[in-house]
Amino acid sequence: MDGQDEAENLVDNRPDDQEMLAVREGDVGKMGTLFERHHRMLFNFFLRLTGSRAISEDLVQDVFFRMLKYRHTYQPENNFMAWMYRVARNAHLDHARKFKLELVPDTDEQPWEPASHDPSPHQKLEQEQEVALLRRALGKLPVEKREVLVLSRFQNLKYEEIAEIMGCEVGAVKVRVYRATKELSEIYFELAGEKAS
Amino acid sequence: MKCEQLKEMLPDYWSGALDQTGKAALEAHLAGCALCQREFEQLGSVWRKMGAIPEERPSAAMRARFEATLEAYEHGLQQARRVERRKKLDHWLAGWWPQQPAFQFGFAVAFLAVGLLVGHSIGRGTASPVSSGASNIEITRLQEEIHDTRQLVTLSMLQQQSAGDRLQGVNSSYQIRQPDPPVLDALLHAVNYDQNVNVRLAAVDALHRPASTTEIVRKRLIESLQRQDSPMVQIALIDLLVEIKEKEAREPLRELAAKADVNAAVRTRATWALERIQ
Ligand SMILES: [Zn+2]
Repeated sequence: MDGQDEAENLVDNRPDDQEMLAVREGDVGKMGTLFERHHRMLFNFFLRLTGSRAISEDLVQDVFFRMLKYRHTYQPENNFMAWMYRVARNAHLDHARKFKLELVPDTDEQPWEPASHDPSPHQKLEQEQEVALLRRALGKLPVEKREVLVLSRFQNLKYEEIAEIMGCEVGAVKVRVYRATKELSEIYFELAGEKAS
Repeated sequence: MKCEQLKEMLPDYWSGALDQTGKAALEAHLAGCALCQREFEQLGSVWRKMGAIPEERPSAAMRARFEATLEAYEHGLQQARRVERRKKLDHWLAGWWPQQPAFQFGFAVAFLAVGLLVGHSIGRGTASPVSSGASNIEITRLQEEIHDTRQLVTLSMLQQQSAGDRLQGVNSSYQIRQPDPPVLDALLHAVNYDQNVNVRLAAVDALHRPASTTEIVRKRLIESLQRQDSPMVQIALIDLLVEIKEKEAREPLRELAAKADVNAAVRTRATWALERIQ
């Protein structure tokens, strides 16, 4: 990433950076503002990774607690979002290590809310089945592949930002996104085939 | 363009970052390569389907938990700063007076207790400021040393004004697999001092599991039995002591069974318990 890109990211994240700097200086109440802005996004990040609402809620708490605890390590030249997602990845890794399980989504959770637009009942059913199938496929994907897809597809982060989070080159991120999508697609169509036959 | 290059372009194409020249090159290749065309369609459809997975909303409890955690954390920080200032003052005093560690310690504890009474709600009733102060110091220590938010939330909820919140604190302790001493301490404190009987009862229940009944907890439960004035809580405690077969409880149970001013049901239960703890 060159200097100009970095400067742009800083502009994008200026409000977050200022809040976080205030937290670092001891005004920890400002973490409440950051929670307001990001908790839902983080929750969905963990939900795609773990498939469990309960675990995801715990992990969100963990992320904000870690950011409080390690607030001194935050540097103003860091991109806040990248820093937050690094903390989030670590929280998830520690969790997975602690419970020594390859987390498989699609478990005991309540049914997914229907899509926001209003298709016909038939289309709706079809789409719900597709979503359920895709969730199963995502669950079968190795966690590091699932992660890069979640970051790029569900969190809508730019590849440049993901590179900063993962600490690698943008090119490497794109290669990972391609490979993860390809593997997901293979699993998905295999599952769909099983179901059709 | 080679097939390899096309694959490299796909992520940008999906995210909408591919420019016109790129798109043109991509389409040109697809037109002449059935294999890539097939992959392009399959992967593209999966990418689109991912967009149909709806975003979800976390529960309202999550925000409440975060707020409780943040509050506990802020409180802990203030506490730590106060102790820090106290240390500095002690240091300054030490320059004027001869070293008297015991006096200084006592003074520090008293100072802390007063600070707590003024600065933080510890519940009304018979709450003892010193023991409550001790668990607050432990909150601070917890915040510094561990990052298990559940313990923190339990501790923080147990300090709340409203009995409903404290009950929630007791309930959240169930989610802690191996409660730390400060959590056990807070639960025992609730058993002994909470002015709400429901909270006391719930705290007895929360201590009623193998992970919680450590040596120290057993001992303190026996002490609670002697201190308790609610018959319901007394009976809950007796049942717990029977359950864990606490032999040390025999003497206090005998006393309880013999005391004239103790509720009749409690005395009967104590006698019943004595037959079971042999
Ligand atoms: Zn080709």
